[in-house]
Amino acid sequence: MIIHPDLRALRDDDSPQRLAQEAVVAAVSGWRDRPHVSALRAAVKDFARGGDLAGHPALACLFGEPEDAAADLARELTAVGLAALAENPLGHAPFRHFTDDTISTLQIARSGYVTLSLVAIDGAGLAKRPPATTADFSPSEVWERVLAGQARAVVIDRGATTPDRADLSASDVSLGPGSLIVRDARSRHMRLDRVDGCLVSLRLQRRLPEAGPTREYALRDGALVHQAAGNPQDSRIELMMALLARMGRADAAPGMAAIACDRGSGALRWQALRECLALDTAAGFGALSEVARRTGDELAPAAGALRSQLIEAYPALKEIA
Amino acid sequence: MNLPKIDISSLPDLDTLTGLFGSLVDAARVQSSDDTIVFLITFLYEIDPTRGIL
Repeated sequence: MIIHPDLRALRDDDSPQRLAQEAVVAAVSGWRDRPHVSALRAAVKDFARGGDLAGHPALACLFGEPEDAAADLARELTAVGLAALAENPLGHAPFRHFTDDTISTLQIARSGYVTLSLVAIDGAGLAKRPPATTADFSPSEVWERVLAGQARAVVIDRGATTPDRADLSASDVSLGPGSLIVRDARSRHMRLDRVDGCLVSLRLQRRLPEAGPTREYALRDGALVHQAAGNPQDSRIELMMALLARMGRADAAPGMAAIACDRGSGALRWQALRECLALDTAAGFGALSEVARRTGDELAPAAGALRSQLIEAYPALKEIA
Repeated sequence: MNLPKIDISSLPDLDTLTGLFGSLVDAARVQSSDDTIVFLITFLYEIDPTRGIL
């Protein structure tokens, strides 16, 4: 194994690494504390609480006129970051990020369900990927300003939708510096088909945590091929419930019953009913009966059917709820 | 009261199953227009820091 001498030296003394890290963090913190960046971060925080983008000028200006505000922000950030990294090559910029050599994302600001990210897509890497076969529609709003590069994208709109199918219509879009894409991702999907060189953009995304699941449809015939939780909290709760149930933690049953009767997503509430029934029959059956009784609850028909089925299998259940 | 112990595998799922946040059938391209990956990688990196997930 070849280990660079600088890295080998760190095995004996990690202080250069710590100093490099401090220097990079200080540089980025200095940028974050600049008045206009502080205002931007405060606006992201406010925007996460709701309201229209136009009501948050420090953020809205990046996606309005004149169109160079977003590029100025990116240029300033990269100048600060690159200068710090040039002096401290082993430093690590303190931003959430991801790269797979094709898609690279740097999260500049985040609050609640809002993220502001700098995104770079490498055209050569993208061209090697297999053609898309589906389009996903997630509960979020997206504003994206192209800063550099050229690309051809396909926009797919979701029309009439049934539980297992959607009418999809596609149109081509050319993207270049200054292009602005604003979309409600619940009904409009966008994918990049071809990028010449590298496409860099600034993206603002706000998730709508109570606006249903993400749905994925086949491009070929519009059939629903997958659906996924629309917010991470639902999945987190689902995993916690599964763990507590496998641990036999009966004391968690009232909490599960409350989730089942609450106003969360149908998928999460149904899972809470199942886990609760298996963990504590009385608590679970009580919650099941409550949901089955409600008029207008999307789970009422399924809960009613399961309730009847359980009473038939276990007549003792008739005694409760 | 003597209540039965119910096995979770005997309880039906809803007609349409809902996967975990961020799960997709065709993950190859869609992530180019969504920030979900950055959220997920915060957790996935801890599990598998050296390999790509796409």
